[in-house]
Amino acid sequence: MTTAPLPLPDSARAASLPDAAFLARLKTLTQYYVVTAFLALLVGVLIGPLQALNYGGVNVYDTPILRALLKSYYQGLSLHGVLNALVFTQFFISGWLLYLPTRDLKVTINLRFAWLSYLMMTAGLLIAAVPLLLNQATLLYTFYPPMQGSPVFYIGAAIMVAASLLVAGQVIAAWVGWKRAHPGRVTPLVAFMSVATWMMWTVASLGLVGEVVFVLIPWSLGWVGGVDPLLSKTLFWWTGHAIVYFWVLPAYISWYAFLPHHAGGRIVSEPLVRLTFVLFLLNSTPVGLHHQYADPNISTTWKFIHMFLTFLIAVPSLLTAFSVAASLEDAARARGGRGLVGWIGHLPWGQPVFSASVLAMVSFIVGGAGGIVNASAAFAPVVHNTAWIPGHFHITVGTATTLTFMGTAFWLIPHLTGKRLPSVRLASASVWTWFIGMMVFALGMHWQGLLGVPRRALVSATTQDVYREMPIRVPALLTAISGMILLVSALLFFYVLFRMLLSRRVDDSEATTPIPYSEAISSAGETLAGASALVRLTEPLLALWGVALLLVLLMYGPVVARLLAEAQLVPGWRLY
Amino acid sequence: MRAGRPALARLDHHTLERYETIWLGLSVIMVVLLFVAVLASFVSGTYPSLTGESGHHVAGVRNGRVDPRLLGATPFATPGTRQNADGTYEAFVVARAFQFEPAVLKVPAGQPVTIHVTSADVMHGLMIVGTNINTTVIPGQVSSFTTTFRREGTLDVICNEYCGSGHHGMISRLTVEVGPP
Ligand code: HEM
Ligand SMILES: [Cu+2]
Ligand SMILES: [Cu+2]
Repeated sequence: MTTAPLPLPDSARAASLPDAAFLARLKTLTQYYVVTAFLALLVGVLIGPLQALNYGGVNVYDTPILRALLKSYYQGLSLHGVLNALVFTQFFISGWLLYLPTRDLKVTINLRFAWLSYLMMTAGLLIAAVPLLLNQATLLYTFYPPMQGSPVFYIGAAIMVAASLLVAGQVIAAWVGWKRAHPGRVTPLVAFMSVATWMMWTVASLGLVGEVVFVLIPWSLGWVGGVDPLLSKTLFWWTGHAIVYFWVLPAYISWYAFLPHHAGGRIVSEPLVRLTFVLFLLNSTPVGLHHQYADPNISTTWKFIHMFLTFLIAVPSLLTAFSVAASLEDAARARGGRGLVGWIGHLPWGQPVFSASVLAMVSFIVGGAGGIVNASAAFAPVVHNTAWIPGHFHITVGTATTLTFMGTAFWLIPHLTGKRLPSVRLASASVWTWFIGMMVFALGMHWQGLLGVPRRALVSATTQDVYREMPIRVPALLTAISGMILLVSALLFFYVLFRMLLSRRVDDSEATTPIPYSEAISSAGETLAGASALVRLTEPLLALWGVALLLVLLMYGPVVARLLAEAQLVPGWRLY
Repeated sequence: MRAGRPALARLDHHTLERYETIWLGLSVIMVVLLFVAVLASFVSGTYPSLTGESGHHVAGVRNGRVDPRLLGATPFATPGTRQNADGTYEAFVVARAFQFEPAVLKVPAGQPVTIHVTSADVMHGLMIVGTNINTTVIPGQVSSFTTTFRREGTLDVICNEYCGSGHHGMISRLTVEVGPP
C-alpha cells in the first residue's frame, strides 16, 4: 500500500489538488460504491410501501403479480431489511469514508487494493442475493438461529463485512502513514472523524464476524449439529447495536463538516467534534445487551450495566444537537436572521442539499427520544418487538442516515462526475416528502406498537380477531398513507438521481462543486503543540482504539464466557 | 443573540464555550437521572425481571437450560397451570410453530403465578397484550417470571418474534379466573 503524502501545506485545503489522474480514478471508484448503494436502496425501498399497506390492514401479498415475485411477506421483509439496512449503508459508507479521508489528508492510496475491496463487497452482495431471491434465506435481517438459511447467504454476508474491514484497514493505514509523515500535526477534522468511525466499526464487527464465521457457516454446512441461539443472538447484537452508530456517524460527518457550509455558517468547535467522535468510538459498542432485556439467562446486572452505558451515548448525540444547531444559528444570523427563533426562517430551506440534512437531524431528535425509551429496561417490555420498533428505526437509520445520504448525493454526484442536479425543485420535493412520509409513518407505527401490534407480522392476513378488536384504525390508516407518500417520494428521488447519473458531464467538478468544507469558529489548529488540551487528548486515536477494544472485552467477556460455558446446542429449522 | 443586535454580530468562541459546558453538564445530569429512575422502578418491582434459575424444582431443567428434544421428561410435557404442594402456582407454556400450548392458559386471579416458557423449535416471542409481560422464547432456554394477574378476563397472547411462514397466526389466549384453575 502506498500512502505517500503530498508535500503541500494542509492549510491550502481546497486550493491544492493531488495528481489529477489519481483523483479521477478515485472519483470513479467512489461513484461505483455510491451507485451500487442506491441501486440496493431502490429495490429495498420499493418493498416498503407493501409492508406499510400490511400495517394498514391491506394484504397485497396475495395478488398474482406479487405472488410471482415474492414467495411470502417475510421474504419481502428480509430483502427490505438486508438491502436497506445492510447493503445500502455498507456500500455508501465504504465509498464515502474512503473518499473523504483520502482527500482530507491529501494522500494517495493504493487504488488496486481499493478496487479489490469494492469487488469483494459486490461479490459478497451478489452471493448473498441468490438465496435471498430464492427464498432460501428468509431469516429477516437479524437472521437468528436456529431458523436456518442457506450457507450461501451467510458466506455472502461474511464476504461483505470482510470487504468493509479492508476499507477500514486501508483508511486507518493511510492515516497512520500521514501521522508518520507529519509528526506533531493535528489530523484534519474530516479525516479524524472518518478514522474514528472506521476504528469503531472494526471493534463493533467482531461479534458478527465471530457469529457468522465460527457458528453460522459451519452449522449451516452441517459440520456441527447445533447452535446455541442465545449465544448467537448475543454476538449478533454486539455488532447489531453498534452498527447503528456505524450508520449515523457518516451522517454526523456531513452535519458537522458540510452542513454549516451549505447554510452559510461555520462549525462551532472542532475540539468538541473530536470529543464527540471519541465518545462514540469508546461507548457505542459495549451496549448491545439492551436488545436482550427480554432474553432469559443473561444476568440482570449485566443488562443494567449495558443500560447505563446506553444512556451515556445520549451525551455525544446531545453535544451534536447543540453544536450543529449553533452552527445553523450562526449561519442564519449571518444571513440577516434575528430573534429567538426568527432566525430559523432565514435558512435555505428550499435547497435540498441543506434541507435533507437538517430534516434528517430533526427526525433524529425524535428518534433519539424514542431510543431512550427503548433503552430503559423498565419501558422496554411495553414496546419490545412491537410495531413501535420499526417506527423508531425508520426515523433514525431510515431518515437520519438515509435522508442525509440522499441529500449528500445531490452534491456528491455532481462533485464526482461533473454532472448537474437536473431539478432543484424535484429534488427538494423528494426530500420534504420523505421527511413528512417518515414522520407520519413513525406516528402510525409507534402508536400501533403501544396498542400491542407486533412487528414483523403479516397482520393483515391474521384470521383471528385480535387486531380487529384493537383501537388501531387511525394509526393503521396513518401507516398506510405514509407508505403511499414514501412511494411518491422514492420515485421522485430515484428519478432525479438517475436523470443526473445518465446526463452528460458538463464541467470540471473540482472547480464548480468542490468538497463543501466549512470553516470553524474555534478550530483545532494545525500543530499539536499549539492545540487545546481537548485536541491533544483526542488525537492519539490508536491508543483510544485500544481502550475501545478493552472496554468491549470487559463488557462482553463475562457474558459471552458464561454463555459458552453453559451452551445448549439445538438443531436447525427451516420454517419459511 | 437577542433581537435588536445587529444582524451580523456573529457567535464568538467564548460565549459558545460557556453554553457548551452548561449543555454538557445538563446532558450528563439527565443520563444519571434516567438511570436512577429505571433502577428505582426495578427495585420497586414494576419491572418484571426474567430469571434463568428456574431449574431448582423443574425436572430436566438445569440453570434455566433444557434440551428442546427432551421436553417430554419435564413438566413441559403437560403444559398448563398447576398448584404445587405448598400452594404456589406454576404455569408451563410451550411455544412451537405456530401455536402456544396450552391453547388457552388459565391462571388464577389475585395469586402470584410463576410462568415458565420454552420453545420446541425456533425462537418465538411471548407478549401478553396490555401488560408488560414480553419475553423471548428461546429453544434450549426457559424464561421464567412471576406475576400476579389482578383482574378477571381474557388477554391476548401474541408471538412477537418471527418464527416462520405462520408467524402472524401464532396467537392464543390467557384467561384469568377466580378460583383454582
Ligand atoms: C419507502 C420507504 C419505506 C417504507 C414504506 C418502509 C416500511 C417498512 C415497514 C412497514 C416495516 C415493518 C415491517 C414489519 O415489521 O413487518 C419495515 C421494516 C424495516 N425497514 Fe423499512 N421502510 C422504508 C424504508 C426503509 C429504509 C430507507 C430503511 C433503512 C435504510 C429501512 C429499513 C428497514 C428495516 C431494517 C426493517 C426491519 C426488517 C426486519 O424486521 O427484519 N426501511 N419497513
Ligand atoms: Cu412464534
Ligand atoms: Cu412468531
